[in-house]
Amino acid sequence: MELPPPSIDQLSKLAASNLPPSQLFEILSRYETDARLLLAGNDDPQLLSLFYSTFFFVHLLTEQVPEARALSQRLPEALRHQDPYLQSCLTLLRAIWQNRHDQIYQILRNLPWSEGLQPLVQRYESFFQDQSLIAVSTSYEALRLPTAATYLGLDSTAAEQGDPAVIKKFTDCGWKWDAEAKLLYPTPIVLQSIDERPLNGIHDAMKLLGNRRN
Amino acid sequence: MSIVTDLVAASAALRDPVSLSDENYDRQLRDHTAYIRQLISKRDLGSIARDQELLNHFDPSDDSITYLLLLRLQIHTLQETSGGVLPTELLPFGRLWSQSAHYLEVFDRVQVRYIGHEWVQLIESMVLAAQATSKPLLAARLIKDALLRLDPSCAVLTSTHLLLAQLCLAARAYTCALPVLNKHICHIPALPSRASSNSLSIRCAEHESSQSFINETTGLASKLSYRDYLRYFLYGGMIYMALKEWRKASHFLGIVISMPTMGSVSMIMVEAYKKWILVGLLDKGKLCSPPSITAPQVIKTFQSLAKPYISFAQAFERGDMKRLEAEVDAARDIWHLDNNTGLVWQVVNAYSTHSLIKAKKVFAALTVAELQSHTSPSPMDVNGAVKANLASLVVSNAIEAKLAQPQLYSKDTMLRFADVSSLPEASRETKVQAQFEGERQLLEALFGGVEENSNGLGLSEEFIDTIVKGQQAWPSATVMNPSLGRDAGLEMDEDIMGDLS
Repeated sequence: MELPPPSIDQLSKLAASNLPPSQLFEILSRYETDARLLLAGNDDPQLLSLFYSTFFFVHLLTEQVPEARALSQRLPEALRHQDPYLQSCLTLLRAIWQNRHDQIYQILRNLPWSEGLQPLVQRYESFFQDQSLIAVSTSYEALRLPTAATYLGLDSTAAEQGDPAVIKKFTDCGWKWDAEAKLLYPTPIVLQSIDERPLNGIHDAMKLLGNRRN
Repeated sequence: MSIVTDLVAASAALRDPVSLSDENYDRQLRDHTAYIRQLISKRDLGSIARDQELLNHFDPSDDSITYLLLLRLQIHTLQETSGGVLPTELLPFGRLWSQSAHYLEVFDRVQVRYIGHEWVQLIESMVLAAQATSKPLLAARLIKDALLRLDPSCAVLTSTHLLLAQLCLAARAYTCALPVLNKHICHIPALPSRASSNSLSIRCAEHESSQSFINETTGLASKLSYRDYLRYFLYGGMIYMALKEWRKASHFLGIVISMPTMGSVSMIMVEAYKKWILVGLLDKGKLCSPPSITAPQVIKTFQSLAKPYISFAQAFERGDMKRLEAEVDAARDIWHLDNNTGLVWQVVNAYSTHSLIKAKKVFAALTVAELQSHTSPSPMDVNGAVKANLASLVVSNAIEAKLAQPQLYSKDTMLRFADVSSLPEASRETKVQAQFEGERQLLEALFGGVEENSNGLGLSEEFIDTIVKGQQAWPSATVMNPSLGRDAGLEMDEDIMGDLS
């Protein structure tokens, strides 16, 4: 399938689209080696900046953090050192690499991001919140409200004061709140696989073994 | 009639294979290839070899044979006149580059089985052009897609696999190599004796194994050297290392270090052994023994050439942080020389994770303060940093454990190590399902290759020699027992691999 010519408008449309991250990754991978992007990018650093920052966030959405790091290493040298949006990407990458939840939310909310990239930044923030909620639910037996709030980037002052709105965020997920002990008791969130193939896989594997013995 | 009209007419005849039997289509493709080769070689092609419009008369997907032979002719002509310099038209985004790139995206996977040499030459010329302009990524993506298009199983190791791994490393585009690296290699290019029998096979037919058409006879694979074989798995291991997929990296490096040798050990194997020690520490937290099939004298050679790595691994295993740091300092130049500095630091950073995993063997649960006294690498650690680090390890799933914060801030957080039974049922099921799926894919790939390799070994000269020798020694032992013969064939790995050197 022929891709439309890369432009700021086209990349902004992709960033704002609801396409699954894997599909976005496929499209942007093809753009990375597209002559039209590379040739146009020579005259228009803004286009390259938007492309690489969009591609960077799509790496994060597809949970390819080591490859996002590799992408940061193959950025054009001048862009990596001068472009403020790509600088923000590198700062974010460092925080993700170090699992610094508090910093990650600050970076996403406070550092400069180009207008075309905003929808992806917001999409990643909510993706990261969901991922963190799942991880915390399986990693803690009990935790204090401010700790839980940090993982989700919620208002820490409100959490310290036991704000019911913050508590509700967690109890809505089935977590229990002990008002006396001021502790949250998470209910583990496990994503069910919608792929039926593994079950067929067991059957197929047994069939293969059976054939082999015969 | 002009030559172009001739070629267009001849190519058009190949566009309706459905109505033909495999035998007839095969004959037609062979005749067509021979006809075009002859046409190109006999006529005075001065003008058409440089005609920029020539390829526009053909569809690279429907007329894959004609298109590629003419494309190669144009590239060859330009190279001849450029005096050894890569022509601009062949460099990225030049006319011939673009036509070549488009061809590799859409070629007919059956037709190229008849022009394998030219297909490989096209790939090689694109690699050269991409490297000459320091844009390895441009060729890497094309080659990955072309390899998968030619043979979705990618089960026959070819020089193109090696080029892909090399380009992806150079471009730092590691995931680009994964669709090929993740496939199981079941065959190395067929040996000449077997390849000759393939010349009679019907290349255009459906084949159970891609080895039937990816071999020396078709030109899609050439005989790989011992070095090439080692390099592919070393580069593959390095790609997995970059992606922190330690288990897969260890598997690839394990293939390199356990390669049968004839006499001396290759430096590639030594290099792989050094990396393999470090990857083992990152994956399992211990100095792993080489695969059991590694020859004892080879292990001895490795150990004598990789002493600093072994001392470093022993310090890691003993949980002696001071010695570990001393080993890092003492061999700083060696790590640098071997390009392993980054990996060594990753091992040092993984020390606390593996200390925690070791603590799991002793304790069921303990407080952060107790944990600090058992695992802390340095007295400089402040409680807050240990806590944050611990929480980060648990939440990122680097260790299977659960944290329990107390109500009072003055009390310490408790860490409880989790075993499989304490995980939620759905989570256990998901894990088991994923393991089953992995095993299923592995079995499917292996069983596809086992039958064919077993037959191949049974027909090989080495096997027949063994049978003859066996008959002389024990005249009636194995002659009538084919299953014994098959087993004997499977035990001959060393001779077969030795042939590659």
